Amino acid sequence: MKYAIETNHFSKSYGDVQAANDINLRVEPGEIYGFLGLNGAGKTTTIRALLGMIRPSGGEVKALGHQVGPHGQGPWAQVGYLVESPSAYPDLTVKENLEIARRLYGIKERSAVDAVIERLDIRPYANRKAGTLSSGNRQRLGLARAILHQPTLLILDEPANGLDPAGVVEIRELLADLARHKGVTVFMSSHILTEVDRLATRIGIVHHGRLIEELDMEKLARFRTQRLEVRVRDPGAALNILNEAGYQSVIRAREEGILINDPRAIERPEDIAALLVNAGVPPTRLVVEQQNLEEHFMQLTGASL
Amino acid sequence: MNAFISALWVETLKARRSKVLWLTMVAFSLIPLSGGLFMIILKDPQAARSMGIISTKAQLMAGAADWPAMFDIMAQGAAIGGTIVFAIVTAWVFGREFSDRTAKDLLALPTSREAIVGAKLIVIALWSMGLALLSFGIGLLVGNLVDIPGWSQTLQQTAFVDFVGATVLTIALLPFVALIASAGRGYMLPFGWAIFTVFLAQIAAIMGWGDVFPWSVAALFSGAAGPRAELLGVHSYAIVIFTSIVGLMAVFWWWRNADQTR
Repeated sequence: MKYAIETNHFSKSYGDVQAANDINLRVEPGEIYGFLGLNGAGKTTTIRALLGMIRPSGGEVKALGHQVGPHGQGPWAQVGYLVESPSAYPDLTVKENLEIARRLYGIKERSAVDAVIERLDIRPYANRKAGTLSSGNRQRLGLARAILHQPTLLILDEPANGLDPAGVVEIRELLADLARHKGVTVFMSSHILTEVDRLATRIGIVHHGRLIEELDMEKLARFRTQRLEVRVRDPGAALNILNEAGYQSVIRAREEGILINDPRAIERPEDIAALLVNAGVPPTRLVVEQQNLEEHFMQLTGASL
Repeated sequence: MNAFISALWVETLKARRSKVLWLTMVAFSLIPLSGGLFMIILKDPQAARSMGIISTKAQLMAGAADWPAMFDIMAQGAAIGGTIVFAIVTAWVFGREFSDRTAKDLLALPTSREAIVGAKLIVIALWSMGLALLSFGIGLLVGNLVDIPGWSQTLQQTAFVDFVGATVLTIALLPFVALIASAGRGYMLPFGWAIFTVFLAQIAAIMGWGDVFPWSVAALFSGAAGPRAELLGVHSYAIVIFTSIVGLMAVFWWWRNADQTR
């Protein structure tokens, strides 16, 4: 199996509405793939197709090397999922809800339920009816259900929804741990860019049903890196001075400015200022900036901040 | 097989934990209790006259205060009440998956959708038959307490067969309710459908088509839509079986093929 998830020209339309249009995804085993898009962009439609819940109007969908559908067939014993808002049987306890999942996943070990309760830190609520849970704890229950059978592929739709900040961090660490130490492939959708950015090893941006850009580790690292922007009247001279002073990480000169990603320059921009002033090329502007993934996303999707 | 047994266990747990189980038990117990009330009224004409509308209704439905009349009320209750109450059971078993938004959790599992739908249908059949037997048992108890005349072992056996027959005919048509609850993704449509079929069953029986209209057959069988013997034939039961099979196929097809967007 080369890809944990593969779609080839996947499209889905509902009448005149094109929910997904010619989406080609390739997610390798062990990746954490962030599927990013505005509300209604086609994230959930794609996720439902990956899980065999909807039939593609065109193209094909594969999970863990198996063709998904057209009657909902797939390698589901190895796939855990959470689609849209987490759901549970409200008149059953948390433990009973998980026991249902254990039975339907054909897990023999009864201890699996207790283990996942501990893992998701929902022991205090184990015997409470699911209908009385807060949205955050319902989300934890949904995630517990998704990982109960130790899947090799996790497909999560907005996994951080409803969680408090501590819960968000905890779930992020849990997913990172599953990917790093258990080799689990995580495919997670979100409209919260920072959440995806912190966790994903690759990001796909979907807009109006189309996958419009994919950002790999290298591109993401660029977005995550701070740099020092120096503006001067004579960029050429400034560039020579900086190079002679050993600032080798001058990444490029643009317009009247120079971008430096040398950690020393970012930590002590005042040294750069002094160097340039003493050399007679005083900076007119000196600022530590971060290329903003959010701005990039907004530009791509045409949304306003 | 293991997957099916798991699905059956799951559906049974959901049913056991539900308030709807108790509500339907109460609702179906009202049929023999009402029958008992009619018997009390009919046994004492003086009291019946003083009770106005209730005694009029009692005369209409039962006529006499004896066991044959009591068994008639119970069988008719199983057919008409069953159409409504069993539909509530079916709407709940299927429709709740959509109103609780849990349907999506049943779709991408090693346990097949067919096993889950099959388990749901079996739970519905057992639940409905359980309600009917509870009702019959309460009817026997109430009839004995009221001390109505005309009981015999043979009559009870015949009445039991008729009662179970009316119940089975009603249950046989529930797959359509399951289909409507699934396709309608909730409770309201199947409730509407149940009321609509009770209405249509009466109309079809009055028009003389009761023997070929599946939803009239149970009512005719129970005597709720008029005397049954002359009307119903093998073709009537064959139509119910055929309709039931079509309903079963449709509900399985729907769960296998329909886009699940909720």
